[in-house]
Amino acid sequence: MGLGAHIGMWDVALVALNCLTRPTAFAVFTILALGSSAHAADPAFGQYLAGECVTCHRADGENKGIPAIVGWPEDQFVAVMKSYKDKDRPNDVMQNIAGKLNSDEMAALAAYYGSLKAKK
Amino acid sequence: MSRLNRRHFISGSATALGSLTFGAPAVLGQGKAKVVVVGGGAGGATAAKYIAKDSAGAIEVTLVEPAKQFITCFHSNLVLGGYKPMEAITHSYDKLASAHGIKLNHQAASAIDRDKKQIKLADGSTLDYDRLVLSPGIDLKYDSVPGWGEAHEEAMPHAWKAGKQTQLLKARLDAVPDGGVIVMIAPPNPYRCPPGPYERVSMMAHVLKAAGKTKCKIIVLDPKDTFSKQGLFQEGWEKHYPGMVEWINAKIYDGIKSVDPKTNTVVTGFETYKDAALVNVIPAQMAGRIARDAGLANESGYCPIDPASMKSAKDANIYIVGDACIPGDMPKSAFSANSQAKVAAMMVRGELAKAQTFPARYANTCWSLIQTNDTVKVGGRYEPKDGKIFAVETFVSKTGETAELRKQTQDENVGWYAGITADMFS
Repeated sequence: MGLGAHIGMWDVALVALNCLTRPTAFAVFTILALGSSAHAADPAFGQYLAGECVTCHRADGENKGIPAIVGWPEDQFVAVMKSYKDKDRPNDVMQNIAGKLNSDEMAALAAYYGSLKAKK
Repeated sequence: MSRLNRRHFISGSATALGSLTFGAPAVLGQGKAKVVVVGGGAGGATAAKYIAKDSAGAIEVTLVEPAKQFITCFHSNLVLGGYKPMEAITHSYDKLASAHGIKLNHQAASAIDRDKKQIKLADGSTLDYDRLVLSPGIDLKYDSVPGWGEAHEEAMPHAWKAGKQTQLLKARLDAVPDGGVIVMIAPPNPYRCPPGPYERVSMMAHVLKAAGKTKCKIIVLDPKDTFSKQGLFQEGWEKHYPGMVEWINAKIYDGIKSVDPKTNTVVTGFETYKDAALVNVIPAQMAGRIARDAGLANESGYCPIDPASMKSAKDANIYIVGDACIPGDMPKSAFSANSQAKVAAMMVRGELAKAQTFPARYANTCWSLIQTNDTVKVGGRYEPKDGKIFAVETFVSKTGETAELRKQTQDENVGWYAGITADMFS
C-alpha cells in the first residue's frame, strides 16, 4: 500500500521532540500518524497486531492445545473473528481479543496470517 | 509538561504510516545502536527477541541473564501438582540467541550507571547501551514476615522463584503425613501471579488427595480480604477437596505475630499452629534490586512507567517490563510481561531504527488448574488511559461451568504454555 495514496488522509497527531534533556541521546522528530482505515489488509500492520496472537497461537503453525491459525484463507479468518466479536462463537479469550478489532484490523491480520506458511 | 510527556505523547486519530522519524541517532556515527536487556524471563527474552528479529541486524542486542537455562515460574505449580516434570518448564536460550543474533551474557548485572548509559556486570566489566530494557522480575521482602528470612527459606520454602525452591516444596509436600497441617502465608498486593497462591493450594490438595491423605488440612493465612478468582477457587476446593482447605483473612487471624522455622510454628493473633508438616511462606515483594538501586522505583518498591511505551517514568533511555513495573490494571504475569515487552520492543525500534510504531495495546490471560481437567481463567485487554495501563474489557470464568468447558480451558492452558515459551525462546 503506497504512501502517496494516503497523504490526503493523514491526520497528523503530533510532533514530538525526543530526548531533549539528554544531549548524548539522539534528538528525533517523530510524526506519529496513527489510525485505522489505511491499514486495511496491510500485512505489516497485521504483523504488529499478530504480536497478541503469537503468545498463544504458535508462529510455527503447530497446534499444542491451541488451534493453528497460520495459512488460513483470509475470508475464513475474518469470518471467524467476526463471529467471536459478535459472541456467536464461545471462548472468553477470543471474544475479548476480537471485540477490540475493527474490520480493517481483522483484514490486516487475515492478510498477515494468510501470507504465512506452516513449518513442516 | 514533564520530560516524558513532552517526548512521548500520542493522541488523536491518524492513519497510514505509524511514525515517520526524521534525523538519525547520534550514536549511528559510532556504529550500530546498542540495546542491553537485563533479565531473561517472559519480559526480557521477549523484548530481546522482538528488538533483534524485527530490526534485522540494525540493532545490537545483548541479553544479560545469569542462568544458562531458564525455569519458568509459570506452570511451576503444575510441577508441584505432579502434572509436569521440571524439565518441561526448563528452557535453553540457545535457539533464541542463534535465530535472532542476540548476544548472550550469562552474568548477573550488578548496577546501572544511568549517566554513562552503562551496565556493570558481576565480573566488573561493563556494557554500554543506547537503550536499556529492564526485566528483573521481583525480589522477595525477607523482612515482611516476623521470624522468617532468607536464612529460613529451606525450612519454610517460598517457591515464588522457580527452580530449587520448587523442587524443595514438592519434596516437602510429598512427605506430608496423612493428618498433617500445611500453613501457607499468602502475600499482600501487589505480587507476582495473583491467582498463583490459590492454584498452589489446589495443587497441594490434589497431591494429598491422590495419595489418600485426605485428613490433611491446608490453612491459608491471607493478609488480603479477597483474592483473584476467589469464588471459582472456593467452589473448586469445596467440590474436589471438601474439608481440606481453610482460607482465613487477616481480619480474622489478626496478623502474623511470628514464625519459628526451627519448630515449624506460626503464631497469629488468633491461633498458634505448632509442628506444622509444612509452612509455605510467600512474602511481600518488590522490583528486582538492580531497578531499585538505580532509583527507578517509587515508594511502592515497583517502577513507574509511561503506559503508552513502557518507558521508565524516571529515565528516557530505559524501558521497564514485567513484574518489576507498575502495570496499572494489568496483573503481574508472564502473559502481561510478554505483552508489555512487545510494546517496548516496538518503541525501542522506533527510536533506534526508525521503525514504524503503533499505539500500545496490551492483553493478558491467567489460567489456573484446580483439579485434573478443571481449569479456570481470568483476563482482559488493556490500553494506556488516564496515565496508566487501563483495563478496557475483562472476563473471568464462571462458577458452575460444565466439565467439558473446564477441560477445554485446561487444553488452552497447556496450549498457551507451548505458545508463549515458543514465543520467548525461539
